[in-house]
Amino acid sequence: MTDKTRSIDLANISLRDALDLAVLVEEEAKDRYEEFADQMELHHNPEAARFFRFMLAIEAKHESRLAERRRGLFGDEPRAVKREMIFDIEAPEYDEVRANMTLRQALDASLRAETKAFEFFEAAAEMVQMKDVQDIFTELREEEREHQALVRQEIDRLPPEGPARDDDDEIVAL
Amino acid sequence: MGMAGSGGDGIVSAGESLISAAAYEGYHAMMTKSFGSQVRGGESSCRVRLSTARVQNPGGTLDVAIALNWEDFLKFGAELPVSGDTVVIYDSKTGVEPGQIPLVGVTPKEVFAVPIGEMARRAAGTDKAKNSVVLGLIAGWFGIAPGSIVRGLNKKFAKKGPELLAANERAFHLGEEFAKEHPLATPRAMAPPTSSGSKMLTDGNDMCAAAAILAGCEFFGGYPITPSTEIMQFFTREVWKYGGAVVQAEDEIASIGAALGASFAGKKAMTATSGPGMALKTEILGLATIAELPLVIVNVQRGGPSTGLPTKPEQSDLFQAAFSASGDVLRPILAPTSVADTVDVTVEAFNIAEHYQTPVILLSDQEIAQRKETVDPIDTSRFTFIERKRPTAVDLQSYARFRMTEDGISPISHPGMKGGNYQGAGIEHNEQGNPTASGKVHAAMNAKRFRKLAPLQRRRDLFRIDGDPDAPFALVSWGSIAGVCREAYLRATAEGLAVKLLVPWLVYPVAEEIYREFFGSVRAGLVVEASHQGQLYRILRMYVDVPRGVTSFARDGANPIQPGDVVARLRAAALALQSPPSAQQIACEE
Amino acid sequence: MTTSNAPLPTYQAKDYKSELKPIWCPGCGDFGVVQAIYRALAAIGRPPHEIAFVSGIGCSSRIPGYTTAYGFNSVHGRALPIAQGIKIASPELLVLVAGGDGDGFSIGGGHVAHAVRRNTDITYIVMDNQIYGLTKGQLSPTSPKGLHTVTSEYGSLEEAVNPLLYVLAYGANFVAQGTPADMAGLAEVIEAAIRFPGFSFVNVQSPCVTFGEDDQQVKNHRATMQSLAKLGHDPTDRLAAMGLAQKYGKELHTGVFYKNPDPPPTMNALIKERQQVLSEKAPPRSRIFDRFLQT
Ligand SMILES: Cc1ncc(C[n+]2csc(CCOP(=O)(O)OP(=O)(O)O)c2C)c(N)n1
Ligand code: SF4
Ligand SMILES: [Mg+2]
Repeated sequence: MTDKTRSIDLANISLRDALDLAVLVEEEAKDRYEEFADQMELHHNPEAARFFRFMLAIEAKHESRLAERRRGLFGDEPRAVKREMIFDIEAPEYDEVRANMTLRQALDASLRAETKAFEFFEAAAEMVQMKDVQDIFTELREEEREHQALVRQEIDRLPPEGPARDDDDEIVAL
Repeated sequence: MGMAGSGGDGIVSAGESLISAAAYEGYHAMMTKSFGSQVRGGESSCRVRLSTARVQNPGGTLDVAIALNWEDFLKFGAELPVSGDTVVIYDSKTGVEPGQIPLVGVTPKEVFAVPIGEMARRAAGTDKAKNSVVLGLIAGWFGIAPGSIVRGLNKKFAKKGPELLAANERAFHLGEEFAKEHPLATPRAMAPPTSSGSKMLTDGNDMCAAAAILAGCEFFGGYPITPSTEIMQFFTREVWKYGGAVVQAEDEIASIGAALGASFAGKKAMTATSGPGMALKTEILGLATIAELPLVIVNVQRGGPSTGLPTKPEQSDLFQAAFSASGDVLRPILAPTSVADTVDVTVEAFNIAEHYQTPVILLSDQEIAQRKETVDPIDTSRFTFIERKRPTAVDLQSYARFRMTEDGISPISHPGMKGGNYQGAGIEHNEQGNPTASGKVHAAMNAKRFRKLAPLQRRRDLFRIDGDPDAPFALVSWGSIAGVCREAYLRATAEGLAVKLLVPWLVYPVAEEIYREFFGSVRAGLVVEASHQGQLYRILRMYVDVPRGVTSFARDGANPIQPGDVVARLRAAALALQSPPSAQQIACEE
Repeated sequence: MTTSNAPLPTYQAKDYKSELKPIWCPGCGDFGVVQAIYRALAAIGRPPHEIAFVSGIGCSSRIPGYTTAYGFNSVHGRALPIAQGIKIASPELLVLVAGGDGDGFSIGGGHVAHAVRRNTDITYIVMDNQIYGLTKGQLSPTSPKGLHTVTSEYGSLEEAVNPLLYVLAYGANFVAQGTPADMAGLAEVIEAAIRFPGFSFVNVQSPCVTFGEDDQQVKNHRATMQSLAKLGHDPTDRLAAMGLAQKYGKELHTGVFYKNPDPPPTMNALIKERQQVLSEKAPPRSRIFDRFLQT
């Protein structure tokens, strides 16, 4: 878990920093989904692209809700936590995607990402000292649980699917 | 004057002392050297041509031939041709009688067997002073700069101690006295120089490097190869003084790569090599073209293909320079014609490279690069130096590196310049520099890269045209052979032949208009060059309607073309025109 | 919290990310590498226009285009010479070089030794996927012996080049390895490499998801990688580093193999010294021809 953050002392994190961390976690996930959606479009996989855009919207909404809350509590106080300090907390990892991935594989990838985020906040909540911070992390953990449920629901609705697309002549050579 | 001996004889060093003294006195002079293929201690020879007028080329048959031993002398065959006008001097130690000298088919004017080695030993106690004896003989018989030669010896041996100096002076005087005691049947003394004031004495490689530094070159990447290495050596001594740097890279690819990197970083940069190295540089040359980066690449041509004749001149890399490229490439090729104009051509190469953001190939050759020549002192204030067009503050607000401009020249930024960030690349790109595979963009970019160079073809100042514009006979020549043709042109004109001469500094792209105009009045002529194929002639025919009567006079490298050969051919071409049937034929064909 | 009084960086990772969308295969390890580079650059904080990022040709060599730095996507195998030219000509720039295993250790292999011995202050990042990605899956110099590829139908007959040992043997003063399976660690070694004064080398095990071996993917890395720091390796011990580097291809070590605690002067420093000494007695450029006068 420590390999997901750099120079953040989670045990002693303040409420403001915790909120900022949460915002950045969502922002990172949102950006990653956007990149994935772009990649899928570039590689002619519209189904996976559409799903990643759907996830993007969810993360974006979540991010803006958290950002608003932070502003309500701390106004324009500068951020001490930065994007550079976190690594793939809720964002699915880069190697989760493939050009020819099926929709089910895309959903599985994001389920793993949500699970990963759930585990991060669960561990964080256990680690922190301050009650208000613990509440925030617990709340975040629960939201990740909801996201997981949402993705599961989608997975269950999927019709059975055939094998992945075989695209042997996709790459441009120099 | 031509002399030959074994490596240890110091015959080349004698030539150097002689030409240095001549330059100091204000003579015009030229010296070429030639060596056997041994790295050390092989046979060596040199030719020195002195004159009170400008020396255009190393000259043809010898007035004076000096052989320290005959075996070595004969190895240089065509480079040291003896005629019925030659005074032959040789070391009597060879045991050859003056009537028996091993020269076939000629009877020299005068022959002297001189105890050169014995005199050296007498004066200095060693054979090593033979070259000082030779200098004394030359000074005594031909009246060439005795004072300045002694002065030169003084300078040369100053560091080596007074004893050695005294010994060499004694050897010199022994030679001088010998000459006075055995006067020539027909005295031949040099007239005093017409211009006083000492001259510079230098070779094409040093001039090229010095001119590059003058032009603001701050980076040189090189890899040793004969006959270009002296350019790098000059840089390693000098460029640091002007805030620049030089890298002896691991190969020719790295050397042009590093130079291109320096240019990308915004600095004027250069690399130098010879044919085989040029082959390795080809890929990055293409990169320079598509990335539109200024770069000067010197190819000091030698005999090819492959290792070929590393120490002999040839003009056979013109096709390589013009056409060795993947893709549609047009890169300017400039060729100096003498040590002196190497300066102008090098400065011009940088100016063109910078102005048009293009690689420029400076096609020198072994002769110009390594021959020593007197040059009048240079007033550097006559040069202008062009810098690449940098983006203005307005350009930088929405910078597009390869912006489509009317003249095809887009302002160029470099790392460190805020707002100018772009991706240089070998891949085709759009105006912003982003990769593309669009045929439309590719065509537009090709057109831009060609369009920007179009004005070059109208640069009349890059051509030396002499003679009556309406003359029916013509000579065209480039590189070191141009000096031969210039002398041929003067001789033919003196003979009353109506001939004109065109010598391009800009060899490629072919300046179609300039040639068309030049050939307008021409009915017969020669394109003279040192290659087997006649590469310039063939390239001209690709672009220009060369008149039928203009033919190629091409001779493989290391087989010197003499002004006399050119005049004879020209005369023959003129005669052919005068014989009625063929003249009619040509007239109606035209 | 430890960061609250650290000054805000002037540049953030996103400031180094260009608009251009990578055309790498989704899942390619190079996505992680470029992210790590953004972060390392943000930590260092040099403005993008003061960075020159040079590459050769290959999938990995596309990388400069995905940054906002000045980029030069040159020709196959020649990034190092070009980068050294840039650095020597403009010492104030931050110069990065990146490319593939084929670019760096096959066609461009001859340049590596000389980049090491020249010791210009540049950072060389190799995205080592043990395969030729861009040309679709041929054998690469780091492919393990016996690998079956489209150019080694029956298995390759050659041993793999060991990039780590190669640069260590030539005397490199900073040698590290990373993998996108450990993003924080990767960003960290790249940052340390850039900060190191002199030639620095980072080998990144960056899997090719399209042509790479199944057991060379990020998931495997995650399961097998061992941090050199955790192993207690002393990065100032060159011999120990060489011992560990021998395991290349068998074990995946991450972190710094070797970092010279007393780095020798860079080539640029030596050049500057020489320029200063020699420029004092230099005639002006306009008098450069005077030396040829016969006096
Ligand atoms: C002179 C030259 N030869 C061959 C190629 C074709 N080529 C392009 S990339 C490449 C190899 C790519 O492998 P690597 O360097 O490992 O990069 P990767 O694509 O794996 O990142 C080759 C052989 C070329 N572009 N130029
Ligand atoms: S072919 Fe391999 S190396 Fe190239 S982009 Fe695809 S995954 Fe990456
Ligand atoms: Mg590879």
